[in-house]
Amino acid sequence: MDVEDGQSEREKGVGAEPAGDPPTPSPPAFGGHPGDTGGPLQPPAADASAGVFIRREGLEFCFEGCVLGRAGGNSPNICRAVCALTGASLQVLRSEKQTLLKRAFALSRAATPQESRLCAAGDALASCCRHYRSRPTHGIGRFKYLLPREAPKRRRDRLQMKEINVGTEYEYGDINIQMTSYDMCLVEQFAQYVHKLCNRLSVRVNESYAMPTKTNEVLFLEERGSKMQLDAVLTTHQRVVQISGLSSTFAPILLEVIQSNQPEGVHLLVKEHTEADFKSRLKSRPELEELLAQMN
Amino acid sequence: MFLFFFSLWLPQTVQFRGSHWQTSLLAFKASLPMRAQPKKKKKVDIKREQAQKDRMKKKIRKLEKAAPEMIPIEDFMTAPKYSDSNRVRSLPPLSFEETERRVLLMKKWSLYKQKQDEAEKKAIQTLVAAQQEALKELRLESEELYQAAIRRDERLFPFERDGPNYTPPLPGYDPPEGKCIDITKVYTQ
Repeated sequence: MDVEDGQSEREKGVGAEPAGDPPTPSPPAFGGHPGDTGGPLQPPAADASAGVFIRREGLEFCFEGCVLGRAGGNSPNICRAVCALTGASLQVLRSEKQTLLKRAFALSRAATPQESRLCAAGDALASCCRHYRSRPTHGIGRFKYLLPREAPKRRRDRLQMKEINVGTEYEYGDINIQMTSYDMCLVEQFAQYVHKLCNRLSVRVNESYAMPTKTNEVLFLEERGSKMQLDAVLTTHQRVVQISGLSSTFAPILLEVIQSNQPEGVHLLVKEHTEADFKSRLKSRPELEELLAQMN
Repeated sequence: MFLFFFSLWLPQTVQFRGSHWQTSLLAFKASLPMRAQPKKKKKVDIKREQAQKDRMKKKIRKLEKAAPEMIPIEDFMTAPKYSDSNRVRSLPPLSFEETERRVLLMKKWSLYKQKQDEAEKKAIQTLVAAQQEALKELRLESEELYQAAIRRDERLFPFERDGPNYTPPLPGYDPPEGKCIDITKVYTQ
């Protein structure tokens, strides 16, 4: 494929004059006339001298037989000729064997639209970059500019945001619903239930995370003897669902619903979110603390 | 007498002279060392202390630059022995009646749960509607009370509740003595 990066300027020049140019009846000449792209819908017709070669970028999508363009050899020529048909952003680079072109052109013409569409489908999967820069439909699929700008995520964990309660309809700030139990599956399912419930009642859920597991060894004293015997190793699991913006009138209702669905053995604790809660999730740094203590 | 004094005097002088170094040293100690040591104390120690402080500050800054990491949660880490591909449960094939029974049971159960869920949603709606109506009436009654009712309850949180139990606690149960040791793994950064 003829990829020429040096041609970028010419391409730009070409793209800058999309429809301003009246469709010139003469076929595009060779050797780079920036302005003469020919009308958008002008096929090179029988003039095989129209050796129109499209830049690789403009080609990638080509919905008629681009798949041919993938293979080497003759196919690029076919591809290019076909693209000329569609009126893509053409650019004259150079011409090659004209006879070959004629044949290729005839072949491409002969190809049924169904086949070409099939080929197109295959290629669309393989590569997808539509660049009709000269057409009014350029950038038709863009949508990212409509989405709200996301702040770049820093590597460091950002501290929580506490909402200030203002107004007549008082709202609570960040609230943690902490569920603790020895049974992991139960506590996880309950956390899922609470999360879904909050979604359904349009209560904003900030985060839903798990606290580190605590392991306890339970020893008991034997009846006859002073030796402590290992009874069991229990793991305590905790899940937290953090909500915010709970209105004061709705809070008791939510609590009521959660309580009525509380399973056995799951301990519920609803409290306001504090920095200490956040810090308890982080690893301890004894060296740093030592140095800070020494400093002070 | 003069001799005596002289003798007295001489040995002293001799002593002095014998240890003239000493006298001179003493003199030196009186003069130069007395001047030099406090200088050393002031300069060197202060410098050393400052250098130490700077080093500590640098270390602190370096450590603080590293982002704080979250403690890994053991719940989410499966032990490799459980993800061994050799562990395959071989279940016996079920009879037709059994599968039918299970399918029908599942349908009944899902219907029951659906009814339960709908009832819950309805209950929530009625609760909210009743609350709103009550607040409206209260507003018509007195604005002050309405404002006070709207305000959030500070004593609501923290709210704690233990889940229900399968069985109530046994009366008069004497548990054996024992203790609980916390063997949670401590992660440090």
